[in-house]
Parts: sequence; structure tokens; C-alpha cells
Amino acid sequence: MNLLKYLLLFFALMVSFPGVAQKEMATASDKHAPVVRLLTIEPAIGIHTNFGIDLLLTNMIQWNPYKRLSLASYSSYNINNITQRNFNHIKTNYNYSINQKFGVGTSFYFRKITHTFLLMAGVKYTSYKETLDSADFEKTGVAIDALSPDYGLMYSLKWGRKKCFFTVRTYLPLYPWPTKGSNPLYLDGNMNNISLELGVGIKIR
Amino acid sequence: MSAKNKSKMFKNIPTIAIAIMLLSFLGSCKKEVFSPELTKEISIQSTANGATYDIKVGLPANYEPGVEKYATIYVLDGEENFDFVSNQCKAISDKNVVDNVLVVGIGYGKDRSIDYTPTKISSATGGATEFLNFIETQLIPEMEEQFGVDTARSSRVILGHSYGGLFGANVFCIDNELFGNYILLSPSLWFDDLISLQLEKAYREHNKHRSQLVFMGIGAAENLGRMQAPFEAFYQTLRDNYSDIRLAKNREEDLDHMGSKEPNIVKGLNYYFQNR
Repeated sequence: MNLLKYLLLFFALMVSFPGVAQKEMATASDKHAPVVRLLTIEPAIGIHTNFGIDLLLTNMIQWNPYKRLSLASYSSYNINNITQRNFNHIKTNYNYSINQKFGVGTSFYFRKITHTFLLMAGVKYTSYKETLDSADFEKTGVAIDALSPDYGLMYSLKWGRKKCFFTVRTYLPLYPWPTKGSNPLYLDGNMNNISLELGVGIKIR
Repeated sequence: MSAKNKSKMFKNIPTIAIAIMLLSFLGSCKKEVFSPELTKEISIQSTANGATYDIKVGLPANYEPGVEKYATIYVLDGEENFDFVSNQCKAISDKNVVDNVLVVGIGYGKDRSIDYTPTKISSATGGATEFLNFIETQLIPEMEEQFGVDTARSSRVILGHSYGGLFGANVFCIDNELFGNYILLSPSLWFDDLISLQLEKAYREHNKHRSQLVFMGIGAAENLGRMQAPFEAFYQTLRDNYSDIRLAKNREEDLDHMGSKEPNIVKGLNYYFQNR
């Protein structure tokens, strides 16, 4: 609960901060000016904070129509619960989710690093099946398919000055809070689903 | 709108949105408390395990123990759930104009992992037998003597979540004469090689003709590979083998283990009040 409060305060402070970016775009000969990328593609792999048992394959496309306005499209395919597919006669037949989100936010530019803060919203499709298979009991299977809203806060860091650069990002999901209920208990599971991603981005423009 | 104003507007959107979210979040942190005037607190030391349990008793409005005999809901994880369950019981009974119940919140004595689990698979498990002994031989008699509650099996409810749900499921199996009503929420039925399913099978002939009410709830997002299949298996076993059972289940959409607790408490209590 405290961690979440601090994260939200951090985001609020960062988007309020005026930043130190130059008004003019960096030129090729200006080695000390911040790098401003107008359009990037950033594939990455990642995990969730649930002890890293989910594998995320993700891609973000970021467009800055204005220097301080960032728009993003984020897609991911997650393989969930990789390490516990067979537990106590309970078999996970499959468990995956697919996300597509769009976001709006702002970026702060420094010489080698760009910080981007985004509010993201979209949908998530989750599908999984468990089967209880034991000689002592009747075989029982449960399959769940769910399409749900997905919104939250994303932070992305780009590091480098060249066409290819390193990218690190994290996403804090907020749904089902507060749309399903305002009780912070609704966020409990989200603490285990914060994503941590690492990738290589390409500057298109 | 000029280009300059548009740019300014776009700059402010993230700040405004996050400020709204912050205010909503900080505002929602307030915990609801049941009426102190209707709450009694006692402590009982267990003779079985030596632990002292803080008990909170939520009384109905216009409580008249000499005139009425009240049904009783025994709530596990009482320190977390007592206020919410008490408030919901009051709301449901007021809305439906039916008799309210006493809510008995059982606090922690030993660690909950010890009290609620039936077998010793680690140093912090396996104390359920002693905890059940405390409930049966000390807590329930105390409620009957001090608060004049109804002594019939059909008037007793046990409500538990997670390990608490596991405890409730095991009490259903091994001591079915004690409670007539069970609200089992996200029960940890995977515990110790599906011991709850083993106990149900072992005690089925003894229990299957007895009248009971069982509500089972879970979150649809509980997808860690251990919750859904045993939950479904237990439900189907009760459905297929118990002749005199009022049985219902609920899978709360998009909610996980903790997020689904309160919505399922509400649905479970509603089911109990409407079908008792």
C-alpha cells in the first residue's frame, strides 16, 4: 500500500517537473544536446513481479508529435505461470495473455537518457486451463477466458545517442481499481503484476 | 483554439489525470468500522494450544437475547474481516427485513498458517485440530452462555477465506455436526496433496444425508496453477453426492485472490440470508 502511494507520488512529481530539455532539436553536430526521438520501435522481454514466473514478449511504438507530448502503442504476449505447470496433481494446460494498450504522456530529455511517463489504457485477453488429474479423484478441468480492461502507469527509459538504444520500462496495472471498487484490496494482486522489461529500441525518425 | 493553447492543454493532461487518481486512491484508504456500540470484545485462552484469541462480537440492533435466539456467523481472519462482515450482515438484514445475526470475529492466536491448516507439512502449519477444539469446546459454549445464541447446528455459519476457506472445508468434512452453513472463499484446497478432497471422500457417507448450506467463491484471475481445479472438484463432489444441500458458487470476474474476497463475502452472505 505504501509502495503504491510512493509510486503514484513519484509519477505526479515527474510529470509536474518542468524538465531541462532544450527547445531546439539536437543536431548531428551538437554532441551535448539531448537526443530527441520522434518515432521509435522498442521490442523487449520482461517479467512480472510475481517472483518472475511470467515471461513477457512486448513491443512499444512511441511517437512524439511534439517534443513534450508522447503517444504510444504497446503490445504484449505473456506466457503466465511458467514454473508451476504441474503442482499437486494440478496441471496447467495453458496460461497466456495478450495485451494491447495505447498511451499518452510526456518525455524528459537529457544528453543520453530520455524518461517517458505514460498513462496507458487498452484491453487484455487472458486464457488458461487447469486440470486436476489424480488416480484418487474424478478428473476435473476448468477453462477460463476473459477479456478485461487494462489501464495503468508506464515508465520508459531510453539510453543511448545512436539509432539503436537500450530501453527499460515498467508498467503498473491499476485495473480493477477503482472501476470495480475503490478498496485498495483490489490492487493487491497488481503488485505481483508490475512488469519489468528490457529491450533494444530503434529510432525511425 | 490556438496552437500555443493546444500545446499547453496537452502538457497538463497527464498531471491532472494523475492528481485525480492520487486523490481517489488516498480517499479510498479509509477502512469501514462496525458500530462500536454494537461490538463486544472478549478474550479466551485456548486449553488446547495455549494461545489467547481476541474475539469481537457484532450484535444486531435491538439485540434481545432473552426474547430471541440469534444465528451466529463465525468469521475467520476476524481482525481483517469482522467489520466488513458485520456491516454487510446489517445491510442485508435491513434491506430484506429479516432477522440479523451475531457476527463472531475470531482473532489470531497462533499464526493463521498454524491454526487453519490440518497437517504439519512445515513448522508453521498443522494446528487446525487444536483450533477446532477451541472453537467447539470453548468459543461456541461461551457464545451460547454469554450471548444467548441459538444452539442448533443449522443456526451456525463458518466463513473463511484462503487458508480460512481450507479450514472451513475441512470442518465440513471431519466435524460436519458443528456447523450447518459454510461460506468458503478462495479456499486453499491444493494444500498437502489435496487433503480436503481426501477428507471429503473419507467422511462422505457420514455427512452426505445431513442438511447443509454451502457457498463457494473464487476470483477468476486466480491463475497460479493451484486454485481453480480443486475448487471446481470440491464443488462438483458436493453437487453430485450430497442429497440435502443448498449449494452455490461464484467466480468473480477479473479479480484475484484478495480482490475477490469482499465481493464474494457479499454474495455468500446474501446466499445464506436468502436460503437459510
